[in-house]
Amino acid sequence: MEAKSVSAVPAKLMKIALIVGALCGLYLMALSSHAERDQLRKASVDLTPNCKAKLEGYGLVAAEHYRSPYVQAVNGVDSTVRGYSEQDVRSIQRGCNIVDDLQGQLAKRGARERWNADRFVRGTYTTCIHCHQSGGDKHDTAGKPVSGSNNLGASWVMADMYDRFSGLIMSHELRQMQCYINASNGFKPNSADDLIRDVTAYSRFLSAALDQKMGQRYAEQGLDEIPFSATRRRGDDYVRGAHVYREKCANCHGPQALGMVVQGKVLYPALAGPQSFTMDSRMYFGTLNSLMPGFICRNMPLGAEGSLDNQDCRDIAYYLGTLPRPAGDRQGPLVAAWQQVMMGVMPPLTRYAESLGRNHTEHPGD
Amino acid sequence: MSSLAFLRALPGVLPALRGNLLIGLTLAVVTLPQAIAFSTTLAGLPPHFGIYAAIWGVLFTALLNPSRVFSGGPNTTMSAAIGVILLPVAPQFGADYIGYAMTLILIAGMIQMLFVIIRPLGRMLDLINEPIINGLICGIGLFLIFKSLTGFAGLPINTQVEWPLWIAWQSFMAVLEIGNLYAIEIGLITLITSLVARQIRALRNWAILIGVAAGTAYSEYLNATVGLQNTMIEQIANLSSVGFVLPSLPLFNQEAMSDIISILPGAVTLALLGLFQTVAAMRRMNRKIGSYTDSRKGIFADAVSNCLLPFLSSLPTCASFNRMWLVYSLGGQSRWTSAISALILLLMVLFLAPLIAIIPMPAMAAVIMLLGANMINWEDIKPHFRNRGETVVFLASFLSVVFLDLFGAVVVGSVLAIGYSKWEQAHPKISLRGNVLKIRGNVYYASLPVIESMYHTAIEREGSVVIDFSECYYIDQEGIRWLAAAKAGQKVAFADRRKSDDRRELERRAAADQKRKSGRRRGRTDRRQRSQF
Repeated sequence: MEAKSVSAVPAKLMKIALIVGALCGLYLMALSSHAERDQLRKASVDLTPNCKAKLEGYGLVAAEHYRSPYVQAVNGVDSTVRGYSEQDVRSIQRGCNIVDDLQGQLAKRGARERWNADRFVRGTYTTCIHCHQSGGDKHDTAGKPVSGSNNLGASWVMADMYDRFSGLIMSHELRQMQCYINASNGFKPNSADDLIRDVTAYSRFLSAALDQKMGQRYAEQGLDEIPFSATRRRGDDYVRGAHVYREKCANCHGPQALGMVVQGKVLYPALAGPQSFTMDSRMYFGTLNSLMPGFICRNMPLGAEGSLDNQDCRDIAYYLGTLPRPAGDRQGPLVAAWQQVMMGVMPPLTRYAESLGRNHTEHPGD
Repeated sequence: MSSLAFLRALPGVLPALRGNLLIGLTLAVVTLPQAIAFSTTLAGLPPHFGIYAAIWGVLFTALLNPSRVFSGGPNTTMSAAIGVILLPVAPQFGADYIGYAMTLILIAGMIQMLFVIIRPLGRMLDLINEPIINGLICGIGLFLIFKSLTGFAGLPINTQVEWPLWIAWQSFMAVLEIGNLYAIEIGLITLITSLVARQIRALRNWAILIGVAAGTAYSEYLNATVGLQNTMIEQIANLSSVGFVLPSLPLFNQEAMSDIISILPGAVTLALLGLFQTVAAMRRMNRKIGSYTDSRKGIFADAVSNCLLPFLSSLPTCASFNRMWLVYSLGGQSRWTSAISALILLLMVLFLAPLIAIIPMPAMAAVIMLLGANMINWEDIKPHFRNRGETVVFLASFLSVVFLDLFGAVVVGSVLAIGYSKWEQAHPKISLRGNVLKIRGNVYYASLPVIESMYHTAIEREGSVVIDFSECYYIDQEGIRWLAAAKAGQKVAFADRRKSDDRRELERRAAADQKRKSGRRRGRTDRRQRSQF
């Protein structure tokens, strides 16, 4: 009995040593990861070409006060607000880079420079600028922010306000999380993550650069809904939608809306198919859809925005909603399986049907 | 006269009372940090909800359940379920959230009451076997570890349910990359101190409290040297509302109705999770201590308590096997132990509130991690891997918690329970030796296809069969009809249902009887013959 208890002591000590060792190992890992993050936070930021142009245009420098050249040019007044520290400037620059190039395809150290944002989205081509065009700050030819263009500065000034789509009072951090979950079928980063903080800093800077005031609703914030009442009241029709799509959209997004990728860079995003993770963001015909038409009408086609009428936008959105794409978290396993099957079956079938149509057009007498 | 009798009994009562006081103190010390951790870290409710569950929940269940060792109180799984169910409905710790939590507990209590009133429904709970319960418990233990990761590192709790493993992995990476290092240090000190203290026999029952004390001491040291404004460590704080009792009302109004309807499946989950654990814990305790208390008494105690507790700002209650075993192993032999522990806890809270208020949240998260790890006990799981059926049921139950939500896990668990028991019943052990077909199990509509298949094989091979159903437990009407039809076929004989010894004895008696009868007959014949002559 005594021998047993004596032999149990080293075993117990070994167990304690193992537990303490494992936990200390975790702590050392945390220290190392923190040190790496700190280093990245202090490092100078390589801006993407778009961000370089945008932030230089808005005169972002570390100083005690900030004067927006944009406000001066548009309003003719000199608006001075509190300036930014070196640390703030780096944070804003990183935020702009994240919005412009989420997965770090333009970065030297890839995803690491973007705080590993690729962990939180699905697919290799998902990025913010597909919805938040021009780095979340789209302007028309007259230099005015485009109405219904998902402007990030306008979104920041509505932080902690009632969100009409989710029905919640949402902070800017939570709004960003919704993007990860709904617009990319992804996972939400922790709200204290640099990824969220930097984009928040960038959005906040945009609001200062555009002289947007807290709590004000701006036309460029979010999307303009196009309800049925704003159409020609013919009812949404995906056949008409397919026709308009082929005419106005297929040149860029491809005949089956699978997007255009050249040398690993997304020139035009996929609106359907395996790289389109947008089913939870109203790209599903089963969802009452007045948002997607709003996005199309205000932001598409690039360079000819506003050329489509409301009914066309509703038809295109309805057509796109019928195309197969990976299901989101809300649809459940049956829809997910069905979508997977359709993604395999539909493209060859559509190609075949279109080839029949072409033959028919070429030989009307047949 | 009666007062004199009482005084005469005092010398015998006092030592017993002193013993119960010591056990009650230990139980209170074990329960206090858990109760606070359950409410703040898991359920998303202020700390007094856990404390009142440890006071009123323990007291109610001790009074309502006649078992000597039954101990109710706040429960890990039920607290976690409240957090998971209500997270999408309202922001945690807010007034709406508290109202919905009380409504949820009340509805769960009323559902549990149905299991008392409708007797067969209560009996259904006995179908939940150990592999299912252990699978659920292990899965929930793993979930608790993942769930407390963000609190452990002082990070904000994300506002959607942290259930899938992938999100748990993201939380782990967040701990490493952006966790508050001060928080991680406090959590680690709590964990290490508790784990080391648990290895020392004399400190085992106090291990969690010692860990929390060490974590709190380090947190106070940090506050003194670095400052709370720099450490940014969340503390429990504000126990001013804790008094003898704090009445509350569940939220029932027209505006809340759509949310209340949406949490109904959650209420069913909560009710079933409590009942599963109570029934399993009572059965296990009955076996351990060699006594018997009907588990329906436990169901009754849970149901009544959970209908009352929402009006007292308390978490729901159910049996805890670990606490029951602790009481028993310390020598607790009466319900007074639990009642005394509740009263000691009340006194501790009333007088030690300022100390409880400075406990850091990472220490509470570490407590939850420890409890989660304790729920995964290899000694409990090991026996299930010796039987293929049990292995499948255990794994399915475990994986359903890990990959589905709690409601899904409870549904899978219930379906598995019924499916497993029916599968076992429908597969009697049938052996064919020579022409004897022995059936061990049930002969009923679901097992007949299995029996008939073997029976026809035997008939084809042997020509005739003796069916031995001496070890059959149950034969239903369809079974009787089949046996009758088989017997009518002239190729079947039935072996006697009694054991061979009984059969031999019976045959000996029958032979003796036969002999006696034939002797009597012979005597009668002789007499007849004599009379004829």
